[in-house]
Amino acid sequence: MDRRSVLKMGAAAAAATLSQPAILRAQSSKKLSILTWNIADQEALFKEEFAEFKAAHPGVEIEWLDKKGPDLPAFYQTQLVAGTAPDIVDLQGEIWVEWAANGALLDLTPYLQADAEFAKLFNPDYMSGWVYEKKNYLIPFYVAKTLLFYNKLMFKDAGLSGPPASFDDIIKFSEAMAKAEKTGFITLNFDWLYWPLMKMNGIELLTPDLKKPAFNTPEAVAVVDRLAKATASGAINKIAWTGRWVEPNGAFSSGTVGMMQAHSASYFFVKGQGRWINRDTLGAAQAPGNWSTPTNHGFAISKSSKNPDIAFALIKLMTGNKWATKFAGIRRVLTANIEADKACLASLKDEDPLAHAVLETQLEHTDKMTGNWPLANDAQIKDAFWPELQNGLLGRKDAKTALADAERAVTRVLRRS
Amino acid sequence: MGPAKATDSKRVVLRRSTRRAILIWAFLAPSLLIFLLYRILPLLWNVVLSFEAWSPLKPAVFIGLDNYQEMLFDDDVFWQALWNTFGIIASAPIGIAIALGLALLVHSHIRGREVYRTIIFVSYPLMTVAVAIIWRWMFDERVGLINYAARSLHLVDKPIPFLNSFTWALPSVIAANIWQMLGFYMVIILSGLQTIPGNLYEAAGIDGANAFHRFVRITVPLLKPSLFLCFVIGMLNSVTSFDLIYVMTGGGPGRATEILITYIYKLGFNQTRFDYAAAVTVTFFILLLGITYLANRLSGGNAGAVERE
Repeated sequence: MDRRSVLKMGAAAAAATLSQPAILRAQSSKKLSILTWNIADQEALFKEEFAEFKAAHPGVEIEWLDKKGPDLPAFYQTQLVAGTAPDIVDLQGEIWVEWAANGALLDLTPYLQADAEFAKLFNPDYMSGWVYEKKNYLIPFYVAKTLLFYNKLMFKDAGLSGPPASFDDIIKFSEAMAKAEKTGFITLNFDWLYWPLMKMNGIELLTPDLKKPAFNTPEAVAVVDRLAKATASGAINKIAWTGRWVEPNGAFSSGTVGMMQAHSASYFFVKGQGRWINRDTLGAAQAPGNWSTPTNHGFAISKSSKNPDIAFALIKLMTGNKWATKFAGIRRVLTANIEADKACLASLKDEDPLAHAVLETQLEHTDKMTGNWPLANDAQIKDAFWPELQNGLLGRKDAKTALADAERAVTRVLRRS
Repeated sequence: MGPAKATDSKRVVLRRSTRRAILIWAFLAPSLLIFLLYRILPLLWNVVLSFEAWSPLKPAVFIGLDNYQEMLFDDDVFWQALWNTFGIIASAPIGIAIALGLALLVHSHIRGREVYRTIIFVSYPLMTVAVAIIWRWMFDERVGLINYAARSLHLVDKPIPFLNSFTWALPSVIAANIWQMLGFYMVIILSGLQTIPGNLYEAAGIDGANAFHRFVRITVPLLKPSLFLCFVIGMLNSVTSFDLIYVMTGGGPGRATEILITYIYKLGFNQTRFDYAAAVTVTFFILLLGITYLANRLSGGNAGAVERE
């Protein structure tokens, strides 16, 4: 073989080698990545969904990754910076607003306008929670909002007949139930879940244009003062202002707390731990004024996605009637998909009446949700407000000083923004 | 020896030393490269970032000293976290003092001293997250062992909410931190004790020195390098005890256990303020440099130096 032939063969081999990745690259351009939040237990269901999707979309590969609670935001941020953000991301609470405002998420409004039938599948109140500057950024995956759980045994012991109808009642009932180890009330406090306590007293966090604090009012001082006094006396459990998830739920499930303001997901936690819990001993009601704070999960598409249309198609499949119904049935959650939620509640009615009663509250008064302001700097405001409120609630500062300091801190954040 | 032969010999020595230098650099290069990539460059980038306004999705804009101005004059949380950090640093000597006592005890001729050494040391290799979880339960208001013991012994009427109290939270975290570091301190001090020649004590005894004087005049001065090492490691461990605080209290209640390292994390990953977090990080770095320099000066100024025979 002469030198020319060797060179020709070498060049041909090199071209063949180089052309192969090009084909692979073309195939991998249909690769979708999806990042979910603390729901690794649904692997089997997701696999079924992905298989159906792949059958309908040949050549599409789906890469699924799940991250635990506190890990997801940090992970997603690093992926955004690196330019390798997943196509689809499951986001919880109001964390999405910051990313939407900063251009990380794709505006899904055109997709929803083009497919009005799909948009109609969802509860409009839950759907409206995903709107920022008139653009819709997420599709509901599963939803939850706060309600008031109450221990009927403790209510009976204290001579109370039904759930509280006002803030005054909450304090009075708590005082009536508090003795020795027992306390009357506890609340979850992350993601503004305690805010219904403020809202039921007419207190707003910010002015309607969301530009100035509005919470430092005499009414708010009185509310914080009453909460602080009730906490100091033991009527309200201190864990309400210090715990996050395990601690308050654990306290309530121990059977020594009269009422707990928490979202519906807490039910499954306390049911698993509290042997005393059954249909006759646990009550589920709306908080006074019917105010609640949502903590919803929704699917968003990263703006950097190379396949937004396919990504939306996958979201459509996962949140559509068929799979949302299956998911709601397995996980016993509501999805904001109207048909799926109806089916879930219908099956629970006989199967688990208590779960049914809890989940039913999630579809009532969905027009009275609070603590879900579309703030691009929600995390910063939360971080400025909460520690100062804590100081007031736990008696480190008097209510007036705590709220004044909180106002200064929140003003600083708003000014900076 | 002729001049030509001497020049040749010099060349050979020079060539040999050059080869040796190349070999040394070749071995060092991977480590230096990693050090440069993962330590020096991020540090430099961090310094640059502290003078900018930047978020992951927005281009950086130079803003001069704005971040530092906000930190020093407009941020109460920074100051609270700084004082808490100093509080934690100040707790290192307490741990060292306890470890010194334990080391003296297990250095004496008590029966089963090897077992005691192992028991004391075992806290150190434990993962910090595990230590934090253990102590979180120990301090628990409802089911914690400490409250149970205190109530059983009628020391308190009501359980103490250690980790939920503005007064108790920081001391509780410090106690857990000291407990974890005790084993490490003890081993270092013990090795220092074993290098003190016994004849010094014998001579001092003959001169009429009592146990206290022997301890103050012989043991402590000769243990100075070990104690210094404990202090520096303990201090660095304390100020970077992110996982311990994150798991035990999350920096709360309020900001009662917030230290600079937890605050930096929250600024970066909860509030997406990487630029401001960079400014706090630079300040934190300068603080650490300052404290290490001071500690080095106090120990005689040549800590870490390799003495040649």
